[in-house]
Amino acid sequence: MNLRTLFYVLSAIFLGFLIPYLIATYLFNKEVLSPEQQLANAMWRGSIYSLFALGYALIFSILGLLNLAHSSVFMWGGYIGLMSVLKLDMPIWVAMPVGMIGGGLVAVSVDVIAFMPLRRRNAPRISQLISSIGASVILLSLATLIFSSTPKRFPQDSIDALPGTADKPLTWLLDNANVRITPIQIAIFVIPIVLMFLLEYMVNSLKIGKAMRVVAFNQRIARLLSINVGNIFAFTFFLSGVLAGAAGVLQGLAFNSMTPYMGATVALKGLTVIVLGGLGNIRGAVVGGFLVANIEIMSIALGYGWLSDAVVFSSLFLILLVRPQGLLGESGKMRA
Amino acid sequence: MQKLRSLLILFVVIAVSLPLTISAQDEAPQIGFWEECETPTLTGDINLGVVFSLTGGAAIYGNPQLQAVQMAVEEINDSDYLGEANLVAIVEDGGTDVETSISAMTKLVEEDQVPVVIGPTLSNQALSADPIAQDAGVLVLGVSNTRSNLETDIGDFYLRNSLPEAKVIPGTVAQATEILGLENVAVMYSDNDEFTVSGYEVFVEALEANGVNIVATETFATGDTDFNAQLTNIIALNPDAIVVSALAAEIVPLLQQTRNLGYTGPIIGGNGFNTPGIASPDTGAGESANGVIVGGAWNIAKQNELSLAFSEKYEAEYGAAPDQFSVQAYTGAWMIATGIRCADSTESAAVRDALKGLKDFNSPLGSFSFDDDGLPEHEPVAQIIVDGQYRVLTSEEAAAVFGE
Amino acid sequence: MDAVFDFLAPVGLNETNFQFMLIAAILGCSIYVTLYGGMFSLANAGFMAIGTYVSVVLTQRYDWPFVPAIIAGMVAGGLIAIIVGLPVLRLSDIYLAIATIGFGEVVVVLIRNFDRIYEEIFDKKIEITGGGKGIKNIPVTTDTLHLIIFLLIVVYFLYRMQHSRFGRALAAIRQDETVAANLGINVVYYKNVAFIIGAMIAAGAGGLSGHLNRVIEPDDYDFDRAVDILTYAVLGGTTFFIGPVVGGMVLRYLPELLRRLKVLSFVGSIVGRDLTNEQAAVDGIINGIVLILFIVYLPGGLADPQLWKSLYRRLRPNNTQKGAP
Repeated sequence: MNLRTLFYVLSAIFLGFLIPYLIATYLFNKEVLSPEQQLANAMWRGSIYSLFALGYALIFSILGLLNLAHSSVFMWGGYIGLMSVLKLDMPIWVAMPVGMIGGGLVAVSVDVIAFMPLRRRNAPRISQLISSIGASVILLSLATLIFSSTPKRFPQDSIDALPGTADKPLTWLLDNANVRITPIQIAIFVIPIVLMFLLEYMVNSLKIGKAMRVVAFNQRIARLLSINVGNIFAFTFFLSGVLAGAAGVLQGLAFNSMTPYMGATVALKGLTVIVLGGLGNIRGAVVGGFLVANIEIMSIALGYGWLSDAVVFSSLFLILLVRPQGLLGESGKMRA
Repeated sequence: MQKLRSLLILFVVIAVSLPLTISAQDEAPQIGFWEECETPTLTGDINLGVVFSLTGGAAIYGNPQLQAVQMAVEEINDSDYLGEANLVAIVEDGGTDVETSISAMTKLVEEDQVPVVIGPTLSNQALSADPIAQDAGVLVLGVSNTRSNLETDIGDFYLRNSLPEAKVIPGTVAQATEILGLENVAVMYSDNDEFTVSGYEVFVEALEANGVNIVATETFATGDTDFNAQLTNIIALNPDAIVVSALAAEIVPLLQQTRNLGYTGPIIGGNGFNTPGIASPDTGAGESANGVIVGGAWNIAKQNELSLAFSEKYEAEYGAAPDQFSVQAYTGAWMIATGIRCADSTESAAVRDALKGLKDFNSPLGSFSFDDDGLPEHEPVAQIIVDGQYRVLTSEEAAAVFGE
Repeated sequence: MDAVFDFLAPVGLNETNFQFMLIAAILGCSIYVTLYGGMFSLANAGFMAIGTYVSVVLTQRYDWPFVPAIIAGMVAGGLIAIIVGLPVLRLSDIYLAIATIGFGEVVVVLIRNFDRIYEEIFDKKIEITGGGKGIKNIPVTTDTLHLIIFLLIVVYFLYRMQHSRFGRALAAIRQDETVAANLGINVVYYKNVAFIIGAMIAAGAGGLSGHLNRVIEPDDYDFDRAVDILTYAVLGGTTFFIGPVVGGMVLRYLPELLRRLKVLSFVGSIVGRDLTNEQAAVDGIINGIVLILFIVYLPGGLADPQLWKSLYRRLRPNNTQKGAP
């Protein structure tokens, strides 16, 4: 199962990076400057996209909801992690789980405020989407109220203090491949993959994961099996918040600039990611993340960076027209 | 033992109080025309309209602006700069779109009937909202609008203390070209923001005028944080310098990523770089900022005492280093108060004339004057960040960072 | 007219805000047409952008007169809706929503890069959309009367639609697409027509607002705008023709009211903290809460006739009892 995920990630890189690269170099004679570095850039960006989209996809696959407040949860998770470092002087490896759990709690409160009342009434999915927008607005305004809107960042030494990187230089230069990667970039690449495997393991093998899949399949059957559907909802939201929180902290660590608006850019990209991977397909979210990142990086590498958004959102649009179940989805089986 | 301790205490007391007494004797420079204009005879409350972007993406700039204005208003009132009269700020959110700024301006002009408005944050908002004040004969002082030709587009009731990019960048580029011997540069800018796009256009013009070759142009969007791909393209071409037109929020990650990718050359920035926070090791890019060259609207390098005092106070009050926008907003509020003081009136036209006549106004921005066309004028100086400090750009300083 | 605005100004109903409210009402109507047919399309911000840019470019760069330029903008919106609608309307529910979000973003990016794309293809520098800087110094040509007339035409259309074959067909499609198709309703045709009409209304609103704000820039028509338009209709109600008008007006007016109510000093006195600097953030929180409360407790919208009927009945229980034999 996990090998299959790896295979899909590789094919995403193949699709998004190698094919355009080969076409550009051999058909159009367009040179890609330092392709190795660009590939590294794409991997790095892709893992953040994937981690963000994972929680998005989880909620869609289990609960059938499009939670537009996910980007705000992402931002809150990042800020909770940041504040634990700035105000409580926690080391980063403590602050990261704190940010994740904080993100989880914020996500649960989004469920309680925006989704639960509607669920009781059996409201259409569209109303739930709109109410998640409302929750997102509230979270954003609260964040500007509490954290202020001036850009903030993790202090420099918090990154050096990542386990195993304390006495290493900030930049590793791999001599034989002309690539520069910092320790934090490696952490950002590794942590999402670990979390993905943990998530897959949980959903596929643990009892609660099985209960989640039953809820995804049919809520009435889940009730008949005496599964507490409410708890499963809360737990799923919590999990998605944990993933979003991890993505938020990593984004903050990686790019050194956090504002309450940091979710806005990634929100629509994340939407593209889960659509490309197949709405509600957890493995698809991972693949989609790498694919979108590769498309973006490739369009920049080929000198069309100004059109990268156009390319990304056109692919969102086109994939829905051509293959609404996404690249990995099987038709007729859209969820879970 | 007892004696030793008391001696020690005495010593410490003297050591501490000595500089205190010296600095007390030393006349600390003060912002404002205390000598030049008489204390006005005005009484009661004077309304000051304030429109900044407090919500949406531009809130990153609008909120510090508001804080700085409120700090200035407090100082003005506490020091009785306006005599018996009190400045009262009426704050309205201009949002990040033009519609909200129009609504805010309409309210201030029509309902509150303020004589002077400070703001709005974005040039496009100024273009859409300021004509309302212009039609009503209300003075607007822009403190962050850098688009060129706003004065002619809006009218005679518009003034600004933010230098248009065209006044800063050409000088910086000329100086940098001369000192660093630039031949090939790469340009990066955020293409969805008028502030950075107009900065980019001026840069291109200035580079061409100085015979510098642009080998690559890369774009990103405001709000982006990952610039690795663009930088990889640029660095592969090995340019003599990277020219960047961006806003403060994007600059810190951009600098850090540039250095992480192994580029050690100069990075020349526009107005957005004028923020001491950029070089701060805690909140900014730290060492990565060394070698950044900016044409400053804000002469941090010149050891301007007013600027230092402002930075200190601002940081103590709001827990963050002030950026260029807040310095300009702070100076703007003091300028308006000075206009009122010198005109001894709250009539918009009188305040405007007094403001336009402002010459050599000593402010955290440096010495400030309006030129004959009502355009702001204060000597911009090309600065370079060396060891986290802004220094005036000279060949020695450049050699200290880049070697020879 | 002026006297009315003078009287209402203290509560935020000055002419400027009234104009914005009218535009919001028209935009609400534009999405109402598609929602009435059960189509959850978020493309209207994109169509608004198209209408704005086409009409403003025509008046500013090609010296077209105002009214033909607005109509040209609407036609452009409609034409693009034909091209986009046919494939995209096969999707339903959330899939349609996401696809139209993508469409809106593509429109914004293409408008922003129009000049550059042109330059790339034809190797000639032009200035049509002005890129990220937008178009400035657009003289204010739209006045309140234009907006009122346009809104009245749109509302009359919606009113007639409700009782026409077209409207009933759309309502049937909303209830159940398969059943509607089995009843012999040409589902594809009706959905596309509704989509095109919605696009034209949005484009018209765009053209009118473009000549009102003096400046236009591509970012004004991004995802946030699409969400705004959606909330106008949802708040007002999506089944009764007055709904989007009420929703648009109320929602656009709410921040202006909050701006003047200064809820803050009140909340601040409770919390014991000076919140006057945080006005904007608190307004955001209130906006969000209002949105959720409406979706949760008033799903039929503000202008839901059922709601008012039941409210009316509840307020006059005695009368009805007396009237009963």
